Amino acid sequence: MTVVLDTSDDFTLANFRRVCYSGEAVRLGEQARRALAAAGRGRTAQGEAGAASAGAVPAAAAPADSGPAGSGSAGSGGGYLDEAVVRGILFARLAGCVSGRTAVRLTAAERVAALLGGPAPRVPSGGPAGPDEATVMVAALAGVRRDDLGEAERRALAEPAPCPAALAADTALRSRQRLESAQAVCALSIEAFGAPLGAYDAALDDLWGDAHEAAALRALRRYLDGAETEGRRFHQAPVSYRIIPRVLGQAHRAVAKVEKAAATALRAVTGDVLLAGRVLPSGGFHNGMAYPAMNALSAAWADLALVAERQVTALNTAETSGLPVNLAVPKAPTGTYAYGWAASSYVEEARAAAAPALLPAAACDPRSDVLSPAFSAHRRERRAAECLDGVLAILVIVSSQALFVTGRSPAGPLRPLLSFARSVFPPIDGTGVRDLSADGRSLQQALTAAAVTGRLVPASGSCGRRSKNR
Amino acid sequence: MASIISGSADTGGSLALIHLHAEATFRSMTVVINGRDDFTLENYRRVSEGGEPVAIGPRAREAMAAARADFIRLLESDRTQFIYGVTSSLGPRANVTIPPEQQQAHARAFGFRGNWARGFGGGYLDERVVRGIIFARLANFVAGNSTARPVIAERLAALLDGPLPPVPLDGEVGAGEALPLAHVLRGFRLDDFEEGEANPVVNGSPVSAALAADAALRAAPRLDRAERALALSATAFGVPANAYAEELGELWGDADEAAALAALRRHLSGASPGRRQAGQVPASYLILGRVLGQARRAVAGLTEAARVSLRSVTSNPVYVPPDAAHPLGQALSTGGFHNAMAYPALNALAAAWADLTLLAGRHVTALRAADPAAGPGPELSALAEEARAAAMPTLLPAAVNDPQDDVSSPVFGAYRREATAAECLDSAIALLAAEAGRALDAVGRRPAPPVRDSLQRVRAARKGPDPA
Repeated sequence: MTVVLDTSDDFTLANFRRVCYSGEAVRLGEQARRALAAAGRGRTAQGEAGAASAGAVPAAAAPADSGPAGSGSAGSGGGYLDEAVVRGILFARLAGCVSGRTAVRLTAAERVAALLGGPAPRVPSGGPAGPDEATVMVAALAGVRRDDLGEAERRALAEPAPCPAALAADTALRSRQRLESAQAVCALSIEAFGAPLGAYDAALDDLWGDAHEAAALRALRRYLDGAETEGRRFHQAPVSYRIIPRVLGQAHRAVAKVEKAAATALRAVTGDVLLAGRVLPSGGFHNGMAYPAMNALSAAWADLALVAERQVTALNTAETSGLPVNLAVPKAPTGTYAYGWAASSYVEEARAAAAPALLPAAACDPRSDVLSPAFSAHRRERRAAECLDGVLAILVIVSSQALFVTGRSPAGPLRPLLSFARSVFPPIDGTGVRDLSADGRSLQQALTAAAVTGRLVPASGSCGRRSKNR
Repeated sequence: MASIISGSADTGGSLALIHLHAEATFRSMTVVINGRDDFTLENYRRVSEGGEPVAIGPRAREAMAAARADFIRLLESDRTQFIYGVTSSLGPRANVTIPPEQQQAHARAFGFRGNWARGFGGGYLDERVVRGIIFARLANFVAGNSTARPVIAERLAALLDGPLPPVPLDGEVGAGEALPLAHVLRGFRLDDFEEGEANPVVNGSPVSAALAADAALRAAPRLDRAERALALSATAFGVPANAYAEELGELWGDADEAAALAALRRHLSGASPGRRQAGQVPASYLILGRVLGQARRAVAGLTEAARVSLRSVTSNPVYVPPDAAHPLGQALSTGGFHNAMAYPALNALAAAWADLTLLAGRHVTALRAADPAAGPGPELSALAEEARAAAMPTLLPAAVNDPQDDVSSPVFGAYRREATAAECLDSAIALLAAEAGRALDAVGRRPAPPVRDSLQRVRAARKGPDPA
């Protein structure tokens, strides 16, 4: 399959997924080719000295002549950016091109598009400090021949706004399904605890009056459809169970924001643009929307991780839950004891990752006096998400165990999740030899993978032991 | 319609959400509340800042009376059912059942007066915010979701007729908002409470609603002042006007950035033309439209959080009137008392203020680049650092009080940090405006008429905090 790119309307999250995650190639459509082939009065004017916007392309990022520019990369250490992100940067680069409003012409745009027909260039991730966007652009475009391009065209190609666009899109695509998994896991926990269902009643949709909280309430009710009403806790559940729709609602809001930031950035025409034959310098190279949206998502994940940890503790505390001590069976008396501690470590890491990436305090030089924090925000969101996956894995483990030791089944819509969880992490029943750490890790990895694929499947090499109690 | 951003004619973007009725000032001097839709930001402003009293309207009284009667029927149908705080004890003792014959005495004995007010220190909420909390509290009652008699709501509204107690800023973090509400309700008569009337008063999240509304009402004018000062700075530096061209808004595709560009153009209209080429303009000037767009987004996010929160029903339990499936209605135990929207919105705004503060510092550096004389650079750096510290987000508190009340609200922390970041921005834009004025004087250039008055006020005040 090939994604045909004609106008900025083709730069959608769905096409980003196809190109960046599924590896599909792209082709410039006829409309795009016409726009790119137009003479474009003023394109040559881009080359005028001093016309380019400050910060758009620092001098180091715009090599004057020859093609492969990877050697110009200042990033070092820390491995390489995900291939999906690099493909995303190249994909996003083409949005401005197909508009015909930049100095990039057909030949150069085709060269960028061709890069997506093969393996993505390796782009250094920059180590703990992360890469700067200009350096990333140099490395990502290393395979684009540039020695026959004018200065304006080279600068337009290297303009760095595709970086935050791709980072936001990558984050957006991982976050929607992650949120879905979180809702399912929280619903499983509600069932394991036997929390009263009134806290998720449809009447609250209107009484709270917020669309995102209503979406979270609906999702929980969907998973809890057909749940047993008998035998649940008589009095109200701990706060962490009752507020979960509102906390999930905030996560919905954060996901929606990053989706909007991504959708907007992917189709934006950035850098110095051509308008009525003149060069229009602008601050388009700076994305002011993506990093705050990723910051907000990190904070939402951290808060969700904390509430999930509280539910782990509630399930594990017999005085609170009314469930067996340590959720243990006689042959394995420690049961799920200390899983709350493990969850706490993830929560602390997630909270650290939720420190927002702001405009960097350091100034590069008098012209490029404000840099972009998008890579920092993306890295922190990835870390917060990974930690959330860790806590959710533990919540699944503990919920599964609570249901196991009391011989209960959850509501029908939750049974596939429970079945999958037990295929990776069987209940702790005192039989066989277990590597609980490895099994837990497998569950976390499965949740992380599901954020991209939407499917919970065992990570390769997981499932060290299968239990007869699955 | 007029915008609360003075002088704005075409704000657009997310901030279009916060247009207020210009005729508000000509309304009667009492806010009449008949339903949840009356809990608007404009009515909040009238009550909190305008000092207007609140009257409970006939429709609200009718709804409350009917719901109260329905609730009593529900309770009488089975006094052994779980209704939090009515047939059970409270907080961590929620699992303690109150026998039917003791339930009335349990309601009367509600020892809230002064007993739960635990926090102290850190200064106090402005009284306008305390008024706002009481206003927001009333949303819980007026549609018949509170289980209380109309007289309780009327008594709450009457609190607005007199001076209100101080609410300390420290020590107010707990599950729900019972701690600050305990301060607000000092002196509120509770000794005649009947079953189901305590929690509608003390349980819920009206504090989050009020703090969000208070910050939102201040945020839009602050952003307008920042836009004016930054535009003044752009004039002083000589940024070419087309750096904020209308076409860019379309190409970037975001309504908030388009609105920010429009505001900049308005504030630059009629100024001496910029004398620099784009290549001479630092990034901090070129990216104004995009950074201000994010600030507009953050203001709009907080405004939306305030709008939703003000009209939401948040007490626990919440009474849902009868329907076909539940002919006696339901008293649901929920997590409505936890507002998960207000504190993240305050966090986002604090971060936006911090970024703008940093940008103001960069502008001063650029304006003084050719001037070796000492300027406000160090002071601006300090402000930027303070603002950045205040932009560290308040998350759900790590500490746990008891196994039942195992998650607390961080809204007080978020409110204070946003206020600190805002204060830093206010100072930064005052310094920037003064510096821009100095730079304009030095070269004999004039600012645009829309910001000329602002500059004159800054010059008059020298170091005043408000350049607008």
